[in-house]
Amino acid sequence: MRSKLFVVFSVVIIASMALTACQLGAPAAPGAGKVLRMSFGAGDVPTIDPALTTDTSSVQIVEEAFVGLSRANEETSLSEPGLADSWDVADNADGTETITFHLRNDVPWVRYNPDSGKVEKVQDCSGKDRMVTANDFAYGILRTLDPATASNYAYVLAFAIVGAGDYNGGNADASAVGVKVVDDQTLDIVFNQPATYNINIAGMWVARAQPKWIIEGDDCTTAAGDKWTEPGNFESYGPYTLKEWVHDSTITITANPYWPGTASVPVPKIGEVTWSMLDEAPAFAEYEAGNLDVAGVPLADIDRVKTDPVLSKELKIAPDMCTYYYGFNTKAPVVDDQRVRLALSEAVDRQSLVDNVTKGGQEPAHWFSRPGLAGAPTMADHPDLGVFYNPDDAKAQLQSYLDEKGLTAADLDLTLMFNTSSGHQKIAEAIQQMWKDNLGVDVKLVNQEWKVYLETIRDPVATPQIFRLGWCMDYPDANNFLKEDAGFGGSANPAEGGGFNWKNDKFESLLTQAAKETDPATRVDLYAQAEEILVKTDAAMIPIYWYTRVSTTKPYVTRTFSVAPGQEHIEKWDITK
Amino acid sequence: MGRYIARRLIYLVAVLFVVSMITFGLMHAVPGGPFDTEKALPPEIQANLNERYNLSDPLWKQYGKYMYEVFIPHVTSIAPTQSVNDDFMVTIKIGSVWVRWMNFGPSFSSRSRTVNDIFRQQLPVSAQLGTLSLLVALLVGMPLGILAALKQNTLLDYFGMGVAIFGVSVPVIVLGPIMVWIFGVTLKWFPPTGWGAQPPYFLGFLPSNLNWNFFSHATMPSVALGLGSSAVIARLTRATLLQTVREDYIRTARAKGLRESLIITRHALKNSLIPVVTILGPLFAALVTGTFVTELIFGIPGMGKYFVTSITNRDYPVIMGTILLYAVFLVIANLAVDITYAYLDPRIRYD
Repeated sequence: MRSKLFVVFSVVIIASMALTACQLGAPAAPGAGKVLRMSFGAGDVPTIDPALTTDTSSVQIVEEAFVGLSRANEETSLSEPGLADSWDVADNADGTETITFHLRNDVPWVRYNPDSGKVEKVQDCSGKDRMVTANDFAYGILRTLDPATASNYAYVLAFAIVGAGDYNGGNADASAVGVKVVDDQTLDIVFNQPATYNINIAGMWVARAQPKWIIEGDDCTTAAGDKWTEPGNFESYGPYTLKEWVHDSTITITANPYWPGTASVPVPKIGEVTWSMLDEAPAFAEYEAGNLDVAGVPLADIDRVKTDPVLSKELKIAPDMCTYYYGFNTKAPVVDDQRVRLALSEAVDRQSLVDNVTKGGQEPAHWFSRPGLAGAPTMADHPDLGVFYNPDDAKAQLQSYLDEKGLTAADLDLTLMFNTSSGHQKIAEAIQQMWKDNLGVDVKLVNQEWKVYLETIRDPVATPQIFRLGWCMDYPDANNFLKEDAGFGGSANPAEGGGFNWKNDKFESLLTQAAKETDPATRVDLYAQAEEILVKTDAAMIPIYWYTRVSTTKPYVTRTFSVAPGQEHIEKWDITK
Repeated sequence: MGRYIARRLIYLVAVLFVVSMITFGLMHAVPGGPFDTEKALPPEIQANLNERYNLSDPLWKQYGKYMYEVFIPHVTSIAPTQSVNDDFMVTIKIGSVWVRWMNFGPSFSSRSRTVNDIFRQQLPVSAQLGTLSLLVALLVGMPLGILAALKQNTLLDYFGMGVAIFGVSVPVIVLGPIMVWIFGVTLKWFPPTGWGAQPPYFLGFLPSNLNWNFFSHATMPSVALGLGSSAVIARLTRATLLQTVREDYIRTARAKGLRESLIITRHALKNSLIPVVTILGPLFAALVTGTFVTELIFGIPGMGKYFVTSITNRDYPVIMGTILLYAVFLVIANLAVDITYAYLDPRIRYD
């Protein structure tokens, strides 16, 4: 049936090509006839509103439909021109930093018209094409920050942009926010402090242009309110725009013929991309049946895929910007001693764990911030950094603690808590065994349902001695890991107590210093020093592994592999059948 | 009979009230909230979200507001807006006023959708799948049970009950992926996943065109889902039919020389249907409101997963909506069962 569908699509596209050929001035649909079929996980894409987006499937659609001022390269994570061709950075006398963005003037707002079956430019009330301007970006940023929008990710802008936190917290009005439209093509954003990652933040989905007229209505447009993201209402300007969204089933984006194509964001070669919302196993069945072009490999199938003569050639294990770790409540009994924490960390044989338990080609983690992020150390430049499997030193560390307290390993009362899931269970059991074998300690395993667990590990008193967590990037910089998760007041280390229950002034000052540092090599060294404190000197966490994404791609698809989840740049892909 | 039905419908309101109160209390008693995520939200953001979804009010007020929005019809002169807070199941315009009823609220996890959107778009899919699988269950289960009973202790009986045991003991979670693998991936007879109908639906819940595309998608999940229930029906039919054919009135029927086929259909089967019909009520409610595992395995965009994910997400309006919906289906299905009793067995009277 899929092939029939394909024929129908092709006919529609060819017909529309023939029609557009008659219309002077309308460019032919790029990538006509080429349809890429992929899958998101089961369940509906939560939203495609840039202001409200939080998860990877939503980010993926927003990434293709809206281009940020800057755009992170999907493979190197470096900032490239997005809708802004260039930008100037200036330090202000009061310690803030102003970035002036110079926007392109050739990008129109477009909408897919379900009646004509074509992507059309959007006109304003006087009949002129609506072009993307600095006003749209300013509106986007302020809408995200508006307390009434209730955006989860507004906090990224709230901490970075001058006045944004006060506006979002309801303590000041929008005029206090450091976003200024100079003219249609020039936008000034004032950041709280000079930092190399400011440019990444300006490119994030929460800071993208949003169409005010369709959301709030104007003289010639009816307000679509919360429903502006539905097909037919939806307007965007990136290389693709929304064509169809059958909730809980499929979402389809189609190439935008009016996207001018830039050096970093080319004109798409594939005309249409459809995602089916399928659980991993059915998605892989569809892939094997030839109905999907790209699919993730379920854990149960990895061994088979690796040995299959055809599938093994289509397999790719690519880095994913996430870290899996165990945190310590550094104020809880027993693990309030650094020697115990380091011993537990050094007793974990990470290589054996990824080879025998997780099996997805994950990389053993020796520190927290995932290599590949800007500013993060890599195994190549810092081969000896962090914590390694070292049972002998682990034993010595623990023995020194036991001798001091006059205890034996069997006396230690330790609990590891994780959220209920068979995957976490397997990992926890393997590590429990490693601790037993290498240190002779018996660690109890406790699990809780996810949301209950999240409350437990953020409770100043109830936080268990050892707890499981993971962290994935929001923007590709080590600051996002070290400061926003592990730093004092970070997600896993709340200022009110709970989590790591940990504060190290040296660590905090290194992070502040690294944020301002402009020389890339020095920056990496500063973060490396901070990592050494986090995982060794203070050993507040056990880094376990760095994530990978295991997927198969049909041989006729030429593609790039994004290091950031949900940020594939499909405009660079092609299908050659 | 009319008074009986009216009385039962009044009970329905009481049942819904009690169910809503228990559900509301339980879901707020469970630790964790809808906006707790791996990335801890700053207090200001949490406050904005609570404000946005009226979660900062005291619980009794939230409950009262919910019940008011769902059960009390609103008469208003304000035109409906596109806000997710303002989506009513029933909106009728009379002159210059709107009569609006049943606003189940927005979904917290899909930010541009409402619970009513889920009812409109996902419930029809589950209803279609549930009805088809119930048909499969009846068409396979009843004949198997009858044959097994009539040919008791023969090869046919053993075969029929063998099939039934298989159906009960091999759950969808095993049968589904095997079917997908054999008929979807290897033989390519049916599409491995997906559903052949999408909104808009005919009359709000029927597929708008019943073509091969619809049935090719529906075959595997309906069979996988229906087989388990058919086994239960077969065993039940067999057991009750065996009992009935030993009754005195069957002997009388035989003694007066009635044809065997007539004895079975008119006298034995009709009387032995009562236990089968009894389980059909809850079975119908369960199948039609969605089945989590089947929908996940076959990639079907139905309601089933909302019963589970709404709870893990603490998506309060969706939890309330799905539970109330299930309660309504269950009560009405049981009412239909009771009415059928009276038809099947004239000795049963309600007035």
